[in-house]
Amino acid sequence: MKIQLKSIAVLMLAGAAAFSACGGGKSDVIKVAITGPFTGGSAPMGASMRDGAKLAIAEINAAGGIEINGKKLKIEAIERDDEAKNERGAIICQEFVAMKDLSGVIGTVNTGVVLAGDKYLQEKGITKIITPAAGSQSMTQWLNKGDKKGPVDLSIFRFAAYDDIQAAMVIEEAINRKLTRVAFFYDSTNYGKSGFDDMVNQNKKQGDKLQVAASEKFNIGDKDMTAQLLRAKSAGAQAILIWGIGPELAAIANGMAKINLRVPLIGGWPLSMSNFVDNAGKNGDGTIMPQTFIEEPITPKAKAFIEAYHKAYNVKRIPSPVSAAQGYDAVYIFAAAVSQAQSTDTKKIKLALEDLKKPVHGVITTWLKPYTKWDPNNVASHEAFTREQVVMGMVKDGRIIFANDADRQRLIKNASAVKGKDSK
Amino acid sequence: MDQIMVFQMMVSGAFMGLVYALVAYGFQLTYATGKSINFGQGELVMVSAFICLSLTNLGLPYGIMVLLGLLCGALLGLFVERSAVRLALEQKSEGWILLTIILGLLFFSVSENIWGRDDRPFPTPISSDAFQVFGISVTPVEISVAIGVFFIMGLIELFKRQTLLGKAFEAVSTDRDAAELMGISANRTVMLSYAISGVVAAMAGVLISPITTVGPTMASALVLKAFSVAVVAGLDSGFGVVAVGIFLGILESLTSYYIGSGWREVPGLTLLILALALRPTGIFGKAVIRKV
Repeated sequence: MKIQLKSIAVLMLAGAAAFSACGGGKSDVIKVAITGPFTGGSAPMGASMRDGAKLAIAEINAAGGIEINGKKLKIEAIERDDEAKNERGAIICQEFVAMKDLSGVIGTVNTGVVLAGDKYLQEKGITKIITPAAGSQSMTQWLNKGDKKGPVDLSIFRFAAYDDIQAAMVIEEAINRKLTRVAFFYDSTNYGKSGFDDMVNQNKKQGDKLQVAASEKFNIGDKDMTAQLLRAKSAGAQAILIWGIGPELAAIANGMAKINLRVPLIGGWPLSMSNFVDNAGKNGDGTIMPQTFIEEPITPKAKAFIEAYHKAYNVKRIPSPVSAAQGYDAVYIFAAAVSQAQSTDTKKIKLALEDLKKPVHGVITTWLKPYTKWDPNNVASHEAFTREQVVMGMVKDGRIIFANDADRQRLIKNASAVKGKDSK
Repeated sequence: MDQIMVFQMMVSGAFMGLVYALVAYGFQLTYATGKSINFGQGELVMVSAFICLSLTNLGLPYGIMVLLGLLCGALLGLFVERSAVRLALEQKSEGWILLTIILGLLFFSVSENIWGRDDRPFPTPISSDAFQVFGISVTPVEISVAIGVFFIMGLIELFKRQTLLGKAFEAVSTDRDAAELMGISANRTVMLSYAISGVVAAMAGVLISPITTVGPTMASALVLKAFSVAVVAGLDSGFGVVAVGIFLGILESLTSYYIGSGWREVPGLTLLILALALRPTGIFGKAVIRKV
């Protein structure tokens, strides 16, 4: 009897020790959650982001991992599919909050999902890098607005060419083409609506040079856009400026061809999604959208990345090159922060992210101090991208190419030069 | 200019209306013989479209793919009859309502797992480049929808009128018990009607896929409207579904042009409520005296 009691006590002690080992944040892996829509209409973005991120994680792990206090730790990816559904996003973030030793979160494609979930992460101070969701609201929700004060400390960062930059470029493109009358199209999601607001604001900012012939809304899942397009056509629109995602964008491009509306289609970056390019076919040719990465091996780093991606996932074309490249670079930036913090503690990683000492050599560019301390009056403090890392892409024969050769030359020239916020 | 726009909307709507009519026709076929409806008809459309897509990806030529697709549709229809309808009918219960809905959900989950949740383009040799008729844009794909709908419906109507088997079909529709006394197997006729209904669903899948793309949810909105069409037209008039289908298609199209695309579904549903309130047997339906 005595022996039995003793052994039970020993077992209990051992159990308690084991429990504290996994619960105390002293585990020997760095746990990073990757979340996004891996199925459904947004899947090309979500899955490419995940695969790009996993490529970077595999490279880091193959090199032994990240050294923390003399011990090399590997990164473990935890994947969660939010199906582009806001309620799934909220549940997943609550699950992340409950994980004791999570170092950080990377991902989310849909602005609505960001709005539904990120508040839980911010509440517990879990560091997240949003990529590639570009809707402005994702970050502007934390700003001071009149009486409503934003948080003074924010654990949410973004790594995407946010819509304000993109809308500026889209409006600029229309003006450069000497257009005067355009139609705004947008889907009825948070992303579409906030993109529409950005376009309207940018048009105002750039001197109200574009007359709005029509503002048309459409729903996710709509296949027949004839009514909206006919209204735009009869209003004399010289271009369609659009904010939406792949399948509906394709329905618009196909509808334009059907009613013989041969005007430029310019809009947010989802116009580069494979489910737009494939479903629109040749009707998508000539479509223009802002891009942070073009699948062309113009620099050695880009070449290595594209080849590695093709080989690892056995594809000839990255479904969403922008998402893949951003997922990849986001992991390297996160890893740099872990290394600088010398800790897997998410709060320490956040502090490091706000003050990265060393440049991070990514596939998009070399990142020098991408973030600064959060300022509730300046959203750019937690935004990595500026106008200069973004180029215009164009659909041609099922691929995205540089719309302007000048952009291409600029990136080649700057490949070795260090760029970032400080170089401005 | 504006008049042409209106005509354009009407023509586009009419083509969509024909697809509603075809799916509604599938409802009618099974209702005629077995007095039952496959509420999973939309899933049959979707599964058949996915099967056709897979067959095309195997490299089969278009014609053979369509034939095999229609055959699969027939088999799926038979499967629905055997697994969901027959038992319920034998017990004279209304269990087929729930069973066909459940079967539809099952088809949905299975295809989500096999083919994934994404919408995919459906390759077709028929061009979708528009050409102009009196200033109205029409695509060959849309024309193919019209031809396909009339072809398959004409074929089935001809079959019902001209062949012995078809006459048996009509006999069971009119009076099941009397037909059985004449030596016609009502069970077999119900089976046949489900098979044909499956063919019709597969045909609808083949015809609309190039326009709507193929995905698990491709038919969910469609089937609701088709059901409205079938009820408004009456559950036993082949001509009625075409007329009501086209009317509803045009009405939807004009609503989305004049009022806004968010209101597109409203006229169809209003029509359904009105029809049920004012003429429960449908506009083209025959009033039947129910003997108790």
